[in-house]
Amino acid sequence: MKLVNHLVLRLSTTFIVVLFVWSVAYFFLQMNEIYDGIDEGLNNLKQEFIIKANTTEGFVADMVKYNPLNIIVEEISAEDARAFQETYSATTVYFPSELEKEEVRMLTTAFRCESDKKYYRLKIFTSTVESDDLVKNILYMLAGLWIVLALALVFLAKKIIFKSSKPFRKLLAALTDFQMDKSKMISFEPTSIDEYRELNKVVEKFLQENMQAFVNQKNFIENMSHELQTPLAIALNKMELMLNDKTLNRRQLEEINTTLQILNRMKKLNSGLLLLAKIKNKQFEDNELNLNTVFDETVNNFEHLIEYRKIKLQTVNNAQITVRMNVDLAYVMASNLLKNAISYNVQGGEISIVFNPGSITIANDGEPPENSNRQIFDRYFSAADDNRSFGLGLSIVKSIADRYRFDISYRYDSKHIITLIIL
Amino acid sequence: MKILVIEDEPEMVKTIESFLSNEKFIVEKATNYDSGIEKVFLYEYDCILLDISLPGGSGLKILEKMKKAGVAGNVIIISAKDSIEDKITGLDFGADDYLTKPFHLAELHARIKAVMRRKQLDGKEILHFGNLSLDFKNRLVFVDEEELKLTRKEFDMLSFFAANTNRLITKEALAEHVWGDNTDAADNLDFVYSQMKNLRKKLKDSGADIVIENVYGIGYKLDK
Repeated sequence: MKLVNHLVLRLSTTFIVVLFVWSVAYFFLQMNEIYDGIDEGLNNLKQEFIIKANTTEGFVADMVKYNPLNIIVEEISAEDARAFQETYSATTVYFPSELEKEEVRMLTTAFRCESDKKYYRLKIFTSTVESDDLVKNILYMLAGLWIVLALALVFLAKKIIFKSSKPFRKLLAALTDFQMDKSKMISFEPTSIDEYRELNKVVEKFLQENMQAFVNQKNFIENMSHELQTPLAIALNKMELMLNDKTLNRRQLEEINTTLQILNRMKKLNSGLLLLAKIKNKQFEDNELNLNTVFDETVNNFEHLIEYRKIKLQTVNNAQITVRMNVDLAYVMASNLLKNAISYNVQGGEISIVFNPGSITIANDGEPPENSNRQIFDRYFSAADDNRSFGLGLSIVKSIADRYRFDISYRYDSKHIITLIIL
Repeated sequence: MKILVIEDEPEMVKTIESFLSNEKFIVEKATNYDSGIEKVFLYEYDCILLDISLPGGSGLKILEKMKKAGVAGNVIIISAKDSIEDKITGLDFGADDYLTKPFHLAELHARIKAVMRRKQLDGKEILHFGNLSLDFKNRLVFVDEEELKLTRKEFDMLSFFAANTNRLITKEALAEHVWGDNTDAADNLDFVYSQMKNLRKKLKDSGADIVIENVYGIGYKLDK
């Protein structure tokens, strides 16, 4: 979920609940107020009626006789009158004039008329039709306010949060695109928000330190491999000299040979590392070249080995692929790919090299991979129990591909398939 | 045959010296830029092995000065820097070959021989041994005047042995010579074995009087 939506959802949920509770409370309070007003009016009417009844002789009798629309007077016993509780109630009354029942607010009370010394029960009521309209209006207004506020809140919150998190999003986008080995610092969006400024500062510092560490590491690998060359050369050559010492017996010669083989492996590993470091660090002169030709010549170079392993190799030139790249790196890439396809092939297997517009696909037979396929381009990865290679070959291919922004991928689909997409 | 080694690493110099002395070369040494310049201009050598990073200056600078002064010398650059630019500059300044450290001594020897062979006055580049003649220029082999058909790799191997007679060549050194520097030797050892079998069979069938023998499975040796 996006941060904006998350925040808006959290905020608006809280606000909408508060707003709702408030609206409901307000509504009922207002309703009470309205009924209070009506009840007070009824009470006034009652007071007036009783005063009139007390002072005007025959008033009550007239009232009973004429039976006005909003007053009902009935005589009751003194006991009943004394026990009577004055009540306000919402009820319905049948109005003959309207031919229907209407909702009314009714005050029911009892009083003793001073003029005729009798006890009466008095019901005074008033129609609540108008106040119902009022209540409805209040309800509509409240609902309207509630909806408008909620919408405005969601919309505004979304807009404000979105706008004010712009530096954050910019930073995120820049970090996504950031490449450590390009040694190009990302650009930061100026912002007036302290936290974002702080974040930008911290990220910048962090990146700078890491870029420095990365450069140091690159240089370290390159310098280290370079410095190792001479001692390795001396050790190798001394062993080679000893190998031709006529006084040594077979066992000693075999020991020397083993040492030589190990030194040779070190040498290969070291020069592989050096090449990797160089591909990543150094400038190379690039030229237009045809990759079909490069692969053809590489295949030629390996032809005896391919023959020896009884491998059937076919090249399909559906397209001519011309790129701008360094010629030596192109050959290193082609020969490492081909070597890989030969080394991990089965005796009598097949290799196909297919050139399509914008892509080269190399497929070869071989044992299915054991597990994850992704890591075959990782440094030092080589299949288990395998002393055929040092796992640097495909890393070198990957580095060269990265350098020229070729997209390289691997999959296994009854064959090992490496695809190189060249834009 | 006089060879000058301009190289600052004492043990490296010692190793090369003892190797080349065995091959009946007269070896002189210079361990820094100044003594290198001095020796190059004072004496004449059949071959100069030149390191690039030297105390006091670059080996490339020595090469440049030699070229300007018109001093002849078959120069092979030996450098730990496997740098394409250096290689190009070096060859531009008149170096005959460029060998990256670490190298196999047999490879160094083959390169020295090749350089010296190319500079021979007749320019024919034909090497005779036993009843074999190797024509390096046209990459042909003759046994008693009869041509022996060899594949490219077989020719490379035979010529490598021809340059390193009586020397035990390991399979690794052989594979590297034939397949180049960036080949995983381990890939190809079996292959080298099969190629050697073919080569030895061809030599035997053609009646060549040289034998390349397998030494304890370590490598091969051509006895003269």
